Amino acid sequence: MAREELEIEISPSGKVTARTIGIKGPRCLELAEFLARIVGREESRQLTSEYYEAAEQVQEHVDVKQRW
Amino acid sequence: MSTVIVLTPIIIANWPAITAIVGAAVGTLGFSTAQGIEAERSQASGMTREEIEIDNSEILENAGGRGETIVVEREGLKAVFSRDGRGALRVCMEGKGHSKAELRKIGQELVDRVTQQYVYHRVMTEMKQRNMHVVSEEVAEDRTVKIRVRNW
Repeated sequence: MAREELEIEISPSGKVTARTIGIKGPRCLELAEFLARIVGREESRQLTSEYYEAAEQVQEHVDVKQRW
Repeated sequence: MSTVIVLTPIIIANWPAITAIVGAAVGTLGFSTAQGIEAERSQASGMTREEIEIDNSEILENAGGRGETIVVEREGLKAVFSRDGRGALRVCMEGKGHSKAELRKIGQELVDRVTQQYVYHRVMTEMKQRNMHVVSEEVAEDRTVKIRVRNW
């Protein structure tokens, strides 16, 4: 699994600033929604270039051998 | 490069959870939970009172939740946490020799600590449930809590 990190800052009044690291594509939005669900109301969201990078492609090769 | 999300907290909890959070949070400001006679004594003459409504809060109604209060004190200052008619958390500050503005300032500090404690507890609980590991945690001079979590 790719390394995914979150930096979470909780201000003295409880406001949360979360920064995703190594999380690309729609997974960022998924995480933002998860945080909003547990903390409260989303005030702002800043999508940087990492968001627009494609999420890691996983390729799987399956070798099918004929047994006859 | 990263994505940055800013969130305003909304306290949603039942009364037992709020009691635990308030107990833990107010101690950092020198307040302690009042019990028995101290908790009952109220409305003494010369007391200034100030109420603070915590709009971004919802105290869930459940068994034992209605009519409950938490009273905390520090050197003659009293803060009474309760659930208001709309179901939100409310703090009533009382103190002799304090102006309303002073009471509001102290009350707001209490509310901030309670909110921060709630958010911290909520975030840590949820991260554990998602198998996210806390790799570092620190409290800055301004009391901002910084947590770094990883998915492995």
